[in-house]
Amino acid sequence: MPIRALHLRAFAALLGVLLPLAAPQVAGAAEEFDPQDEFALPPWIEIDIFGIDLSINKGVAYLLIALILTCGVMIYTARRMQYRPTGKLQTVVESAYSFMRDNIAGGNMDARMAAKWFPFVATLFLFIWFSNIIGYVPLPFNTTHKVDVFGLELPSLAIYSATANLSVPLALAIVVWLSYHVEGIRAKGPIGYIRSWIPAGVPGAAVPLILGIEVLSHFVRLLSLSLRLFANILAGHLLILFMAGGLVVLMGLNLFGTLVLGVLTGVLGTVFFLFEIGLVVSLQAFIFATLAAIYLGGAVADEH
Amino acid sequence: MDLDTLTVLAQADVAETAGRAIGLGMGTGLAALGTGIGLGFIFGKTIEAVSRQPELRSEIQSIQWLGFALTEATVFYGFIAGLIAFFV
Repeated sequence: MPIRALHLRAFAALLGVLLPLAAPQVAGAAEEFDPQDEFALPPWIEIDIFGIDLSINKGVAYLLIALILTCGVMIYTARRMQYRPTGKLQTVVESAYSFMRDNIAGGNMDARMAAKWFPFVATLFLFIWFSNIIGYVPLPFNTTHKVDVFGLELPSLAIYSATANLSVPLALAIVVWLSYHVEGIRAKGPIGYIRSWIPAGVPGAAVPLILGIEVLSHFVRLLSLSLRLFANILAGHLLILFMAGGLVVLMGLNLFGTLVLGVLTGVLGTVFFLFEIGLVVSLQAFIFATLAAIYLGGAVADEH
Repeated sequence: MDLDTLTVLAQADVAETAGRAIGLGMGTGLAALGTGIGLGFIFGKTIEAVSRQPELRSEIQSIQWLGFALTEATVFYGFIAGLIAFFV
């Protein structure tokens, strides 16, 4: 049964999260554990250019992995395309491709815009999807908690996601925001573009008010686009963190209470984990790419 | 609640921490209330629409997921506001 196999695999992955979380905290007391540490970004390689901190840290590593996966999987599949696909990978990538082309790009922009901006929207979708999904795979990047393996200090396995850091979704959102404004100005000219924000039939006296609301709504788009992705992934990680041990450690109960609460939150944590990898990961990538396509399509559309 | 706990609670910094914790909990909880109602609307209306026109099921479902993600995000706005209240 494929579903059962998936559950088992997810459970094994969760165990991978549970065990390292539990291991360093067994010896230490409750006051040593700080949930914020999971999201701390200690610099690995310090780079400082003109006072701008460009250090390589955990978040950069996750971004690099997502970048390599996005480019690697797509280029690898494109290089060995077959007329009759034998492996599963090509089928999956092909269906993802047609979904991105027809639903995300094609469904929200006219044909000319869709052809022009499909690579951008598809890259956004894939990059966010890979960033999210590796966020739920335990990787040995947690340098704040070390594990002792035969006298060797190794960073412990933990889950973290680059998209659970506001900077990454914000940077993506700013790129989308600038792109659709540039595209709108290119299509209608600067005056025409701003005029197109005001719906037809608005009386002259109400124009400044409507214009103010529209300007505000464009900035809110920037905020909501970045916050939606960031907060979804952050909340998912926090829930799993608390359910997979954080809550039990913070409560500091006796052995019986720890056992009861631990079993309860462990089950809940598994459910949240499955919910996150089953729905939230793909849905957030889809929604980000779709909204980018809607904004790009709306900026050049004749009627507002 | 005995007198010692009351004395501890009366101290200003503890009260401030408690207020922050209540802010985080209440903010997220109330946001979840509104989001729950909104999600119920979306899925209920989807069921209604699909039962009226079953042939449009796939189109309605793709719009439904869009609405789901947009509505679900509102709980996280409350959550982020709570986190800001808690940590800043």
